[in-house]
Amino acid sequence: MLIYGGLLVIAGLVQVAWLARVEISGAILDPLLPIAVAVGILRGAEAGGAVGLAAGLLQDLLGGGPLGVNGLSKMMVGFASGLFERSIYLENPLLPAVATFAGTLLSEVLLLAVGQVTGLSGSVAAAAPRALTQAMMNGALAPVLFRGIKGIEIRLARTR
Amino acid sequence: MTELLLARRRIAVFLGLFLFAVVLLTTQSRTADRRAIGPFGTLILTALLPVQAGMAGIVDSVTTMWEQFTEIGGLRVENAQLRGRVDVLSREAAALHEQAASAGRLERLLALREQIAYRAVAARVITRDPSRWFTTLTVDRGGLDGVARNSPVVTPDGVVGRVIEVTPTASRVLLIGDSRSALGVLIQRSRDAGVVEGRGSGALHLKYLSRTVAVTQGDIVVTSGLGGVFPRGLVVGRVTTVTREEGALLQEAEVEPAAALDRLEDVLILLPRR
Repeated sequence: MLIYGGLLVIAGLVQVAWLARVEISGAILDPLLPIAVAVGILRGAEAGGAVGLAAGLLQDLLGGGPLGVNGLSKMMVGFASGLFERSIYLENPLLPAVATFAGTLLSEVLLLAVGQVTGLSGSVAAAAPRALTQAMMNGALAPVLFRGIKGIEIRLARTR
Repeated sequence: MTELLLARRRIAVFLGLFLFAVVLLTTQSRTADRRAIGPFGTLILTALLPVQAGMAGIVDSVTTMWEQFTEIGGLRVENAQLRGRVDVLSREAAALHEQAASAGRLERLLALREQIAYRAVAARVITRDPSRWFTTLTVDRGGLDGVARNSPVVTPDGVVGRVIEVTPTASRVLLIGDSRSALGVLIQRSRDAGVVEGRGSGALHLKYLSRTVAVTQGDIVVTSGLGGVFPRGLVVGRVTTVTREEGALLQEAEVEPAAALDRLEDVLILLPRR
Protein backbone atom coordinates (compact mmCIF):
# COMPACT_ATOMS: atom_id res chain seq x y z
CA MET A 1 0.00 0.00 0.00
CA LEU A 2 3.03 2.24 0.28
CA ILE A 3 2.94 2.93 -3.43
CA TYR A 4 -0.65 4.11 -3.16
CA GLY A 5 0.31 6.35 -0.25
CA GLY A 6 2.96 7.96 -2.44
CA LEU A 7 0.55 8.25 -5.33
CA LEU A 8 -2.05 9.93 -3.11
CA VAL A 9 0.49 12.40 -1.73
CA ILE A 10 1.65 13.33 -5.23
CA ALA A 11 -1.92 13.62 -6.53
CA GLY A 12 -2.97 15.66 -3.48
CA LEU A 13 -0.07 18.06 -3.84
CA VAL A 14 -0.63 18.43 -7.58
CA GLN A 15 -4.27 19.22 -6.92
CA VAL A 16 -3.73 21.90 -4.26
CA ALA A 17 -0.66 23.45 -5.88
CA TRP A 18 -1.53 23.34 -9.58
CA LEU A 19 -4.99 22.06 -10.44
CA ALA A 20 -6.72 24.31 -7.89
CA ARG A 21 -5.70 27.28 -10.05
CA VAL A 22 -7.75 26.04 -12.99
CA GLU A 23 -11.36 26.41 -11.97
CA ILE A 24 -14.16 25.67 -14.43
CA SER A 25 -17.65 26.67 -13.33
CA GLY A 26 -16.53 26.39 -9.72
CA ALA A 27 -15.21 22.85 -10.25
CA ILE A 28 -11.61 21.79 -9.82
CA LEU A 29 -10.10 18.63 -11.25
CA ASP A 30 -9.87 16.04 -8.46
CA PRO A 31 -7.41 13.22 -9.30
CA LEU A 32 -7.84 11.64 -5.85
CA LEU A 33 -11.37 10.53 -6.55
CA PRO A 34 -10.60 8.51 -9.73
CA ILE A 35 -7.78 6.86 -7.80
CA ALA A 36 -10.18 5.77 -5.06
CA VAL A 37 -12.67 4.54 -7.67
CA ALA A 38 -9.97 2.67 -9.59
CA VAL A 39 -8.58 0.98 -6.48
CA GLY A 40 -12.10 0.01 -5.43
CA ILE A 41 -12.86 -1.57 -8.81
CA LEU A 42 -9.50 -3.28 -9.17
CA ARG A 43 -8.85 -4.39 -5.57
CA GLY A 44 -12.23 -4.53 -3.93
CA ALA A 45 -14.42 -2.52 -1.57
CA GLU A 46 -12.17 -2.67 1.50
CA ALA A 47 -9.12 -1.38 -0.36
CA GLY A 48 -11.23 1.20 -2.19
CA GLY A 49 -12.71 2.42 1.08
CA ALA A 50 -9.31 2.65 2.76
CA VAL A 51 -7.68 4.46 -0.14
CA GLY A 52 -10.71 6.72 -0.43
CA LEU A 53 -10.56 7.59 3.27
CA ALA A 54 -6.83 8.27 3.10
CA ALA A 55 -7.28 10.36 -0.06
CA GLY A 56 -10.10 12.38 1.48
CA LEU A 57 -8.25 12.97 4.74
CA LEU A 58 -5.17 14.09 2.85
CA GLN A 59 -7.32 16.43 0.80
CA ASP A 60 -8.88 17.83 3.98
CA LEU A 61 -5.47 18.20 5.57
CA LEU A 62 -3.91 20.01 2.60
CA GLY A 63 -7.04 21.96 1.77
CA GLY A 64 -7.65 23.53 5.16
CA GLY A 65 -11.19 22.28 5.74
CA PRO A 66 -12.50 20.17 8.64
CA LEU A 67 -10.86 16.74 8.72
CA GLY A 68 -13.26 14.03 7.62
CA VAL A 69 -15.59 15.79 5.18
CA ASN A 70 -13.80 14.59 2.07
CA GLY A 71 -12.55 11.56 3.97
CA LEU A 72 -16.06 10.30 4.57
CA SER A 73 -17.35 10.97 1.06
CA LYS A 74 -14.35 9.49 -0.75
CA MET A 75 -14.32 6.48 1.54
CA MET A 76 -17.90 5.74 0.61
CA VAL A 77 -17.22 6.26 -3.10
CA GLY A 78 -14.17 3.98 -3.00
CA PHE A 79 -16.09 1.36 -1.05
CA ALA A 80 -19.11 1.58 -3.35
CA SER A 81 -16.87 1.15 -6.40
CA GLY A 82 -15.53 -2.04 -4.90
CA LEU A 83 -19.02 -3.49 -4.57
CA PHE A 84 -19.11 -3.82 -8.36
CA GLU A 85 -15.74 -5.52 -8.48
CA ARG A 86 -17.07 -8.82 -9.74
CA SER A 87 -20.10 -7.71 -11.66
CA ILE A 88 -18.50 -5.37 -14.22
CA TYR A 89 -16.39 -6.00 -17.27
CA LEU A 90 -13.01 -4.51 -16.42
CA GLU A 91 -11.79 -4.26 -20.02
CA ASN A 92 -14.63 -2.00 -21.06
CA PRO A 93 -12.89 1.20 -22.27
CA LEU A 94 -15.72 3.36 -20.97
CA LEU A 95 -15.57 1.88 -17.46
CA PRO A 96 -13.09 4.36 -15.92
CA ALA A 97 -14.93 7.43 -17.19
CA VAL A 98 -18.42 6.16 -16.39
CA ALA A 99 -17.47 4.84 -12.94
CA THR A 100 -15.64 8.04 -12.04
CA PHE A 101 -18.52 10.17 -13.36
CA ALA A 102 -20.97 8.26 -11.15
CA GLY A 103 -18.54 8.20 -8.23
CA THR A 104 -18.04 11.96 -8.43
CA LEU A 105 -21.77 12.59 -8.42
CA LEU A 106 -22.10 10.29 -5.38
CA SER A 107 -19.24 12.11 -3.70
CA GLU A 108 -20.81 15.48 -4.36
CA VAL A 109 -24.14 14.31 -2.98
CA LEU A 110 -22.43 12.98 0.15
CA LEU A 111 -20.42 16.18 0.55
CA LEU A 112 -23.60 18.17 0.24
CA ALA A 113 -25.33 15.96 2.80
CA VAL A 114 -22.43 16.20 5.23
CA GLY A 115 -22.30 19.92 4.63
CA GLN A 116 -25.99 20.30 5.29
CA VAL A 117 -25.71 18.31 8.50
CA THR A 118 -22.69 20.24 9.74
CA GLY A 119 -23.90 23.56 8.35
CA LEU A 120 -20.85 23.99 6.11
CA SER A 121 -22.27 23.93 2.58
CA GLY A 122 -24.49 26.30 0.64
CA SER A 123 -27.57 25.77 -1.50
CA VAL A 124 -28.32 22.58 -3.41
CA ALA A 125 -29.29 24.50 -6.54
CA ALA A 126 -25.87 26.12 -6.74
CA ALA A 127 -24.08 22.83 -6.10
CA ALA A 128 -25.82 20.90 -8.90
CA PRO A 129 -24.14 22.43 -11.97
CA ARG A 130 -20.81 22.46 -10.17
CA ALA A 131 -21.19 18.75 -9.36
CA LEU A 132 -21.99 17.94 -12.96
CA THR A 133 -18.96 19.82 -14.23
CA GLN A 134 -16.82 18.18 -11.58
CA ALA A 135 -18.08 14.74 -12.64
CA MET A 136 -17.30 15.40 -16.30
CA MET A 137 -13.81 16.70 -15.52
CA ASN A 138 -12.98 13.76 -13.28
CA GLY A 139 -14.47 11.37 -15.82
CA ALA A 140 -12.20 12.78 -18.49
CA LEU A 141 -9.15 12.34 -16.30
CA ALA A 142 -10.07 8.83 -15.13
CA PRO A 143 -8.87 6.71 -18.12
CA VAL A 144 -5.29 7.93 -17.65
CA LEU A 145 -5.29 7.25 -13.92
CA PHE A 146 -7.00 3.88 -14.38
CA ARG A 147 -4.31 2.85 -16.79
CA GLY A 148 -1.60 3.88 -14.33
CA ILE A 149 -3.22 2.07 -11.40
CA LYS A 150 -3.78 -1.01 -13.50
CA GLY A 151 -0.08 -0.98 -14.30
CA ILE A 152 0.73 -0.72 -10.60
CA GLU A 153 -1.59 -3.65 -9.85
CA ILE A 154 0.02 -5.81 -12.51
CA ARG A 155 3.48 -5.09 -11.11
CA LEU A 156 2.30 -5.76 -7.58
CA ALA A 157 0.74 -9.06 -8.72
CA ARG A 158 4.07 -10.13 -10.25
CA THR A 159 5.99 -9.43 -7.06
CA ARG A 160 3.55 -11.38 -4.88
CA MET B 1 -19.53 -20.00 3.90
CA THR B 2 -16.51 -18.13 2.53
CA GLU B 3 -18.78 -15.68 0.77
CA LEU B 4 -20.59 -15.01 4.02
CA LEU B 5 -17.33 -14.41 5.83
CA LEU B 6 -16.16 -12.09 3.12
CA ALA B 7 -19.39 -10.14 3.25
CA ARG B 8 -19.20 -9.83 7.02
CA ARG B 9 -15.60 -8.74 6.79
CA ARG B 10 -16.53 -6.21 4.19
CA ILE B 11 -19.30 -4.83 6.37
CA ALA B 12 -16.98 -4.70 9.35
CA VAL B 13 -14.33 -2.80 7.42
CA PHE B 14 -16.90 -0.38 6.08
CA LEU B 15 -18.34 0.25 9.51
CA GLY B 16 -14.86 0.72 10.93
CA LEU B 17 -13.88 3.23 8.25
CA PHE B 18 -17.24 4.95 8.45
CA LEU B 19 -17.11 5.30 12.21
CA PHE B 20 -13.55 6.55 12.05
CA ALA B 21 -14.54 9.27 9.57
CA VAL B 22 -17.70 10.22 11.43
CA VAL B 23 -15.95 10.39 14.80
CA LEU B 24 -13.20 12.49 13.25
CA LEU B 25 -15.76 14.77 11.70
CA THR B 26 -17.82 15.20 14.83
CA THR B 27 -14.66 15.86 16.83
CA GLN B 28 -13.83 18.62 14.38
CA SER B 29 -17.24 20.20 14.66
CA ARG B 30 -16.74 20.82 18.36
CA THR B 31 -13.79 23.10 17.82
CA ALA B 32 -14.25 26.81 17.10
CA ASP B 33 -12.81 26.77 13.57
CA ARG B 34 -14.01 23.21 12.95
CA ARG B 35 -10.51 22.02 12.33
CA ALA B 36 -8.15 20.25 14.69
CA ILE B 37 -5.53 18.26 12.87
CA GLY B 38 -3.63 17.03 15.92
CA PRO B 39 0.06 16.19 16.16
CA PHE B 40 -0.07 13.56 13.41
CA GLY B 41 -1.72 15.97 10.98
CA THR B 42 0.77 18.64 11.95
CA LEU B 43 3.61 16.23 11.23
CA ILE B 44 2.23 15.44 7.79
CA LEU B 45 1.67 19.09 6.99
CA THR B 46 5.16 19.99 8.21
CA ALA B 47 6.53 17.53 5.71
CA LEU B 48 4.23 18.37 2.81
CA LEU B 49 3.74 22.14 3.01
CA PRO B 50 7.29 22.99 1.86
CA VAL B 51 6.78 20.68 -1.13
CA GLN B 52 3.42 22.31 -1.81
CA ALA B 53 5.02 25.74 -1.58
CA GLY B 54 7.77 24.67 -4.00
CA MET B 55 5.23 23.33 -6.49
CA ALA B 56 3.16 26.49 -6.20
CA GLY B 57 6.35 28.50 -6.75
CA ILE B 58 7.01 26.62 -9.98
CA VAL B 59 3.54 27.47 -11.26
CA ASP B 60 3.97 31.07 -10.16
CA SER B 61 7.26 31.32 -12.04
CA VAL B 62 5.80 29.77 -15.17
CA THR B 63 2.75 32.03 -14.93
CA THR B 64 4.92 35.10 -14.46
CA MET B 65 7.12 34.12 -17.40
CA TRP B 66 4.08 33.55 -19.59
CA GLU B 67 2.55 36.87 -18.57
CA GLN B 68 5.81 38.65 -19.30
CA PHE B 69 6.08 36.86 -22.63
CA THR B 70 2.56 37.81 -23.67
CA GLU B 71 3.07 41.33 -22.30
CA ILE B 72 6.25 41.72 -24.39
CA GLY B 73 4.30 40.61 -27.45
CA GLY B 74 1.59 43.16 -26.70
CA LEU B 75 4.17 45.87 -26.12
CA ARG B 76 5.86 45.04 -29.43
CA VAL B 77 2.59 45.43 -31.29
CA GLU B 78 1.83 48.66 -29.45
CA ASN B 79 5.36 49.91 -30.10
CA ALA B 80 5.03 49.18 -33.83
CA GLN B 81 1.69 51.02 -33.92
CA LEU B 82 3.14 54.00 -32.06
CA ARG B 83 6.19 54.07 -34.34
CA GLY B 84 3.90 54.12 -37.34
CA ARG B 85 1.94 56.95 -35.77
CA VAL B 86 5.15 58.87 -35.03
CA ASP B 87 6.24 58.43 -38.67
CA VAL B 88 2.91 59.76 -39.94
CA LEU B 89 3.00 62.72 -37.54
CA SER B 90 6.64 63.44 -38.39
CA ARG B 91 5.82 63.52 -42.09
CA GLU B 92 2.87 65.80 -41.42
CA ALA B 93 5.01 68.08 -39.25
CA ALA B 94 7.73 68.21 -41.91
CA ALA B 95 5.17 69.02 -44.61
CA LEU B 96 3.65 71.79 -42.47
CA HIS B 97 7.11 73.13 -41.67
CA GLU B 98 7.94 73.14 -45.37
CA GLN B 99 4.70 74.91 -46.21
CA ALA B 100 5.36 77.53 -43.54
CA ALA B 101 8.89 78.15 -44.84
CA SER B 102 7.63 78.38 -48.40
CA ALA B 103 4.91 80.82 -47.37
CA GLY B 104 7.53 82.94 -45.60
CA ARG B 105 9.74 83.07 -48.68
CA LEU B 106 6.84 83.94 -50.96
CA GLU B 107 5.76 86.66 -48.56
CA ARG B 108 9.19 88.23 -48.74
CA LEU B 109 9.20 87.97 -52.53
CA LEU B 110 5.83 89.68 -52.64
CA ALA B 111 7.12 92.49 -50.46
CA LEU B 112 10.13 92.89 -52.77
CA ARG B 113 7.92 92.86 -55.82
CA GLU B 114 5.91 95.73 -54.41
CA GLN B 115 9.10 97.69 -53.72
CA ILE B 116 10.58 97.31 -57.20
CA ALA B 117 9.21 99.42 -60.01
CA TYR B 118 9.40 96.44 -62.35
CA ARG B 119 6.92 93.83 -63.35
CA ALA B 120 8.01 90.64 -61.72
CA VAL B 121 7.07 87.01 -61.63
CA ALA B 122 7.84 84.58 -58.83
CA ALA B 123 9.53 81.37 -59.88
CA ARG B 124 10.52 78.14 -58.19
CA VAL B 125 13.92 76.59 -58.65
CA ILE B 126 13.39 73.21 -60.25
CA THR B 127 16.92 72.05 -61.07
CA ARG B 128 20.49 72.98 -60.32
CA ASP B 129 23.58 72.58 -62.38
CA PRO B 130 25.37 69.55 -61.02
CA SER B 131 28.78 70.55 -62.44
CA ARG B 132 31.31 72.42 -60.33
CA TRP B 133 32.45 74.72 -63.14
CA PHE B 134 29.25 76.45 -64.11
CA THR B 135 26.71 77.69 -61.63
CA THR B 136 23.32 77.82 -63.23
CA LEU B 137 19.84 76.77 -62.21
CA THR B 138 16.50 76.25 -63.88
CA VAL B 139 13.26 77.91 -62.80
CA ASP B 140 9.68 77.00 -63.61
CA ARG B 141 8.85 80.19 -65.48
CA GLY B 142 9.48 80.79 -69.16
CA GLY B 143 8.49 82.74 -72.22
CA LEU B 144 4.78 82.17 -71.64
CA ASP B 145 5.14 84.06 -68.36
CA GLY B 146 6.92 86.96 -70.05
CA VAL B 147 10.43 85.91 -69.10
CA ALA B 148 13.07 87.03 -71.63
CA ARG B 149 16.77 86.52 -72.05
CA ASN B 150 18.80 88.70 -69.63
CA SER B 151 15.85 89.16 -67.27
CA PRO B 152 17.32 89.87 -63.84
CA VAL B 153 16.67 87.31 -61.15
CA VAL B 154 16.61 88.44 -57.53
CA THR B 155 15.56 87.44 -54.03
CA PRO B 156 14.65 89.69 -51.09
CA ASP B 157 18.28 89.27 -49.94
CA GLY B 158 19.89 90.41 -53.18
CA VAL B 159 20.77 89.74 -56.80
CA VAL B 160 20.83 86.13 -57.93
CA GLY B 161 21.73 86.31 -61.61
CA ARG B 162 20.20 86.70 -65.06
CA VAL B 163 18.27 84.53 -67.45
CA ILE B 164 20.41 83.10 -70.21
CA GLU B 165 18.02 80.60 -71.83
CA VAL B 166 14.28 80.75 -72.18
CA THR B 167 11.81 78.03 -73.08
CA PRO B 168 8.04 78.52 -73.02
CA THR B 169 7.69 77.04 -69.53
CA ALA B 170 11.16 77.24 -67.94
CA SER B 171 14.29 79.36 -67.93
CA ARG B 172 17.94 78.84 -67.12
CA VAL B 173 19.54 81.37 -64.83
CA LEU B 174 23.24 82.20 -64.76
CA LEU B 175 24.16 82.98 -61.17
CA ILE B 176 26.35 85.96 -60.37
CA GLY B 177 28.83 83.53 -58.86
CA ASP B 178 29.49 81.91 -62.23
CA SER B 179 32.84 82.78 -63.79
CA ARG B 180 31.02 83.94 -66.93
CA SER B 181 29.04 86.52 -64.99
CA ALA B 182 29.95 90.23 -64.63
CA LEU B 183 27.81 93.17 -63.56
CA GLY B 184 28.34 96.85 -62.92
CA VAL B 185 28.15 97.83 -59.25
CA LEU B 186 28.50 100.73 -56.86
CA ILE B 187 29.84 100.91 -53.36
CA GLN B 188 26.66 101.99 -51.65
CA ARG B 189 28.36 104.27 -49.12
CA SER B 190 30.77 106.06 -51.46
CA ARG B 191 28.93 105.57 -54.78
CA ASP B 192 32.22 104.49 -56.42
CA ALA B 193 31.75 102.23 -59.43
CA GLY B 194 33.31 98.85 -60.15
CA VAL B 195 32.57 95.47 -61.70
CA VAL B 196 31.70 92.29 -59.85
CA GLU B 197 32.73 89.04 -61.49
CA GLY B 198 31.93 85.52 -60.52
CA ARG B 199 34.65 82.99 -59.74
CA GLY B 200 32.72 79.79 -59.82
CA SER B 201 32.99 79.62 -56.05
CA GLY B 202 31.08 81.18 -53.20
CA ALA B 203 32.78 84.61 -53.23
CA LEU B 204 32.57 87.34 -55.88
CA HIS B 205 35.45 89.42 -57.18
CA LEU B 206 35.12 93.22 -57.21
CA LYS B 207 37.41 94.81 -59.85
CA TYR B 208 38.25 98.14 -61.38
CA LEU B 209 37.98 100.16 -58.20
CA SER B 210 40.08 103.28 -58.18
CA ARG B 211 42.96 103.21 -55.70
CA THR B 212 41.74 106.46 -54.30
CA VAL B 213 38.43 104.95 -53.27
CA ALA B 214 38.20 104.18 -49.54
CA VAL B 215 36.65 100.72 -49.59
CA THR B 216 36.35 99.03 -46.23
CA GLN B 217 35.26 95.67 -45.02
CA GLY B 218 31.50 95.53 -44.63
CA ASP B 219 30.67 97.98 -47.38
CA ILE B 220 27.47 97.12 -49.21
CA VAL B 221 27.76 96.65 -52.98
CA VAL B 222 24.70 97.42 -55.11
CA THR B 223 23.96 97.26 -58.81
CA SER B 224 24.86 100.38 -60.75
CA GLY B 225 22.17 100.07 -63.40
CA LEU B 226 24.81 100.38 -66.11
CA GLY B 227 24.78 97.70 -68.76
CA GLY B 228 21.06 97.59 -69.08
CA VAL B 229 20.49 94.23 -67.43
CA PHE B 230 20.02 94.89 -63.71
CA PRO B 231 18.08 97.85 -62.38
CA ARG B 232 19.98 100.25 -60.21
CA GLY B 233 20.24 99.81 -56.44
CA LEU B 234 19.77 96.06 -55.99
CA VAL B 235 21.99 94.64 -53.27
CA VAL B 236 24.74 92.38 -54.65
CA GLY B 237 26.74 91.63 -51.53
CA ARG B 238 29.10 92.81 -48.80
CA VAL B 239 32.82 93.48 -49.02
CA THR B 240 34.80 90.96 -46.99
CA THR B 241 38.44 91.67 -47.90
CA VAL B 242 40.17 94.52 -49.78
CA THR B 243 43.39 94.07 -51.72
CA ARG B 244 45.63 97.03 -52.54
CA GLU B 245 48.80 96.01 -54.37
CA GLU B 246 51.83 98.27 -54.15
CA GLY B 247 52.19 100.42 -57.24
CA ALA B 248 48.91 99.33 -58.80
CA LEU B 249 46.42 101.90 -60.03
CA LEU B 250 43.37 99.96 -59.03
CA GLN B 251 42.32 97.99 -56.02
CA GLU B 252 40.25 94.83 -55.73
CA ALA B 253 38.00 93.26 -53.15
CA GLU B 254 36.23 90.05 -52.25
CA VAL B 255 32.44 90.30 -52.01
CA GLU B 256 30.18 87.87 -50.23
CA PRO B 257 26.88 87.50 -52.16
CA ALA B 258 23.87 88.80 -50.30
CA ALA B 259 21.62 86.09 -51.74
CA ALA B 260 22.24 82.53 -50.58
CA LEU B 261 23.17 81.27 -54.04
CA ASP B 262 23.61 77.68 -52.90
CA ARG B 263 20.25 77.45 -51.12
CA LEU B 264 17.82 79.10 -53.50
CA GLU B 265 14.27 77.79 -53.65
CA ASP B 266 12.08 80.70 -54.73
CA VAL B 267 13.21 83.70 -56.80
CA LEU B 268 11.71 86.73 -58.45
CA ILE B 269 12.28 87.33 -62.16
CA LEU B 270 12.09 90.98 -63.16
CA LEU B 271 10.33 91.37 -66.48
CA PRO B 272 11.08 93.94 -69.16
CA ARG B 273 8.97 97.05 -69.02
CA ARG B 274 6.16 97.07 -71.56
